[in-house]
Amino acid sequence: MSENNEKKVHGIVAEYESVDSLLNACRRVRDAGYKKTDAYTPFPVHGIDKALGIKPTVLPWIVLGCGLTGTITALVMQIWMNSIDYPYIISGKPYISLPAFMPVAFELTVLFSSFGAFFGMWALNGLPRFSNPLFTDPRFDRVTDDRFFLYVDASDDKYDETSVREIYEQTGGEHIKTVIDDDSSDKIPKPIFMAWGLVIAASVIPLLIVLKMRVTNSESPRFHIFYDMDFSPAKDAQQGSTLFADGRAMRPDVPGTVARGESNYDLDFMTGVQMEKLSAVDPPRAERLVRLTAGPIGPQDGTVGVTEEKEEDSAATTEPKATDTTPWLTKNPLGTSEQVLRQGQKYFGIYCSVCHGMNGGGNGLVNRRARKILSPTWIPPSSLHQDSLYSDQYPDGKLFSTISNGIRKMPGYAGQIQAKDRWAIVAYVRALQASRNASVESIPEAKRPEILEKLEIVDQQLKEQAEAEQAAQDAAKATAADSK
Amino acid sequence: MSLAIPNGLDNSVEQPGQRAPLVLGDTTYHDITESVCQVAERKPSTGWVIGFLISFALLQWMTVCILYLIYTGVGVWGNRAPIFWGWPIVNFVFWVGIGHAGTLISAILFLFRQEWRTSINRAAEAMTIFAVACAGTFPGIHVGRAWLAYWLAPYPSLNLWMWPQFRSPLLWDVFAVSTYGTVSLLFWYMGMVPDLATFRDRSKNKFRRMAYGILSLGWSGSSRHWMRYEKAYALLAAFAAPLVLSVHTIVSFDFAVSQVPGWHTTIFPPYFVAGAIFSGFAMVLTLMIPARKMLGLEHLITIRHLDNMCKIILATGSIVGLAYGTEFFIAWYGQVQEEQFAFMNRAFGPYWWAYWTMISCNVISPQLFWIKKFRTTPWIIVIVSIFVNIGMWFERFVIVITSLSRDYLPSAWAYFSPTWVDWSMLIGSFGLFFTLFLLFCRLMPVINMAETKSTLAKQYHMSHSDKH
Repeated sequence: MSENNEKKVHGIVAEYESVDSLLNACRRVRDAGYKKTDAYTPFPVHGIDKALGIKPTVLPWIVLGCGLTGTITALVMQIWMNSIDYPYIISGKPYISLPAFMPVAFELTVLFSSFGAFFGMWALNGLPRFSNPLFTDPRFDRVTDDRFFLYVDASDDKYDETSVREIYEQTGGEHIKTVIDDDSSDKIPKPIFMAWGLVIAASVIPLLIVLKMRVTNSESPRFHIFYDMDFSPAKDAQQGSTLFADGRAMRPDVPGTVARGESNYDLDFMTGVQMEKLSAVDPPRAERLVRLTAGPIGPQDGTVGVTEEKEEDSAATTEPKATDTTPWLTKNPLGTSEQVLRQGQKYFGIYCSVCHGMNGGGNGLVNRRARKILSPTWIPPSSLHQDSLYSDQYPDGKLFSTISNGIRKMPGYAGQIQAKDRWAIVAYVRALQASRNASVESIPEAKRPEILEKLEIVDQQLKEQAEAEQAAQDAAKATAADSK
Repeated sequence: MSLAIPNGLDNSVEQPGQRAPLVLGDTTYHDITESVCQVAERKPSTGWVIGFLISFALLQWMTVCILYLIYTGVGVWGNRAPIFWGWPIVNFVFWVGIGHAGTLISAILFLFRQEWRTSINRAAEAMTIFAVACAGTFPGIHVGRAWLAYWLAPYPSLNLWMWPQFRSPLLWDVFAVSTYGTVSLLFWYMGMVPDLATFRDRSKNKFRRMAYGILSLGWSGSSRHWMRYEKAYALLAAFAAPLVLSVHTIVSFDFAVSQVPGWHTTIFPPYFVAGAIFSGFAMVLTLMIPARKMLGLEHLITIRHLDNMCKIILATGSIVGLAYGTEFFIAWYGQVQEEQFAFMNRAFGPYWWAYWTMISCNVISPQLFWIKKFRTTPWIIVIVSIFVNIGMWFERFVIVITSLSRDYLPSAWAYFSPTWVDWSMLIGSFGLFFTLFLLFCRLMPVINMAETKSTLAKQYHMSHSDKH
């Protein structure tokens, strides 16, 4: 006992061979009134809480608290980030759309609860604890193998070494020992401490460098750890390349390419204006037209953009403008041939007929639809069969310019139809206009009977159609009257 | 303290009124300690060294490929318009699926009091964590600029001035997989602490004692500690059970929430979860059967354990087969032209070979397990499990590649061809997985000794009370 006088006695421990003898001993110790007791076992022994009188743990409540914190954190985070601070509209859903926030809320609830269970358990158990006086006994190593230990702490109010020993002996306890202070040092060995310190110091250095770089300016280009697409692999002019047989990175023009400003068409053809005359009368306008049509910034061959500002004056279509001194081309440069008319018919059908109608009467499908839905902003397209649009009042060049640049609500078609096709449309429009005013004499003698015959058939059909419509209307009226 | 159960006993036979023993042989608590600890304490076998060197070499090759990818760009993969997801996402879903068995065994079987889980749960949990590590690699490098992968996290960024989009399943996925990885790691580590204490108390040299001493946190086996420990374990199991179901559900949302034909179906969550458990158990069996033989653990991981796992494979495999059929039925019944095309294209289009590999491996091969002989013959189980693993990889291939390669825009259709980098990364991910697993076998307790001992205690208690 003399050696124990110098060191503090922690308690007394005994070793048991089986679960049953341990449980029996636990009950005896509990019944003797000891409170500060514990059993040490290699696996959880069921029923030992009762045998020792251990109270249930508060851990589930800690976990509940953590879980609720997780749910609330997730919801607040998502609502703040996606609905308040940086509102996203996704699939037209409300800013706070809870169903979409559920998965993350669930995951964070589980995560926080698990942290609560894991760390809470260790904290309640007072672990990690690397210095434990029980471990001084080498026999105690078998607690994690196949032996069971019972311990009574010296700080228990009823602690009395001899009576505890008695209980141990009666219940089959072996190797009964007092547990004394561990006299070995519980300090971390110096080399480990040093190494640890060095690792921490070394890991701070890169962070400090990054911090310094972020707050200071430097004249040298930034150091690229990752390229971040800062350097384009595209070749510069005059560089070589292995991709092509000729070894050049620059490629020659595709055959047929027309460079800007090098169009082969003449200006009159592209604008519908006699440019020479215009230059004499209105040099600034001529200059602008040239620049827009053939200059380096303007479109070529009418393939992009507009060649001149849209004419906004609606009077131009109804009567010749007194101030219109533009020397328009009066003759279609393509002339009139069956081929030109067929081309014009094709493009008129594609681009013009949707508004102006197949016959040019101004009642195309779009117009019909707009009237049906009573569109308030709709301006009906002009009929092409009015005196003011005939070639004596509205020269071919002007018609070409209108197709190219648009008028009122009508957009310019220079961007969609090539110049020669626009001229073909002009020719076709003239043909349509002529069809309403042609006299029988203008038909070649040889074809006259054939055409007159066809005309008669058409007249007959129109008449029958009108009668049928009338009959249908009458019948509808009659049934309506009957139902009343 | 010993049990007179002969070593050769077939514990897969049901005896009415009696529970089949889960620990065989004349085993004591100390025998369990010995048989598990000797795995880590003896010198590594030649087989282990060779296996480790091969796995480690593959892992290094994968690392080289990742560096090459980061240096060059994602063009080194076969991912081309319109198949931008490619093999990285196939591999991601494959590995996440494998990672489902561990937590299922640990958590769900624990909650259902399936005692046979005790000797397999540790290795299965380890597999989960390693599989999640493999899985996490792929989306990480698939983001293109991998060094900016941290943009996925909701942190107040001074570069972006914006937050992640929380209505996207891809972000849910980040939370689901990282939560799953974290919780699985906690669960695994917590389960290991008492066994690490055994390692600590048995270790002869000072370094081992210190290392295991730190890892075991000063565990003393106190009954008060055990009480809180068991409570925490039950709570973690209760969270991990819905978590394991949620993870693959959310992975399936990555597909199901999109509009792509063949993906946009409500069947995906249950179908993916069943497939994940299916593939996870197959991987557990593939590894456990050689391991129990090589590590001498046949009396702890018994034929009954294998039999039970085969039954789960049979059940989940049949669910997966039913899901394949249901997809076709719904495509027909739904009368959406694109859906119908997507499924006909899967079975009879340019990827027919992948589809029928999937069907034969996943639906047909597990049907062998209706016959008890096949469920109790280890080498047949290994072969079927490997087929299931192959089949489940092809399932993800079929889902990802066939749907993307032919969607709504026929002018963009294309055929996917993997590059050597794709192949290297698939094989290299197995290198990562096996490197970690082999290290685990050497350094950590491969079987939960404490739980197996308590199973033995119950077994002893029962056979003891029978005598009265």
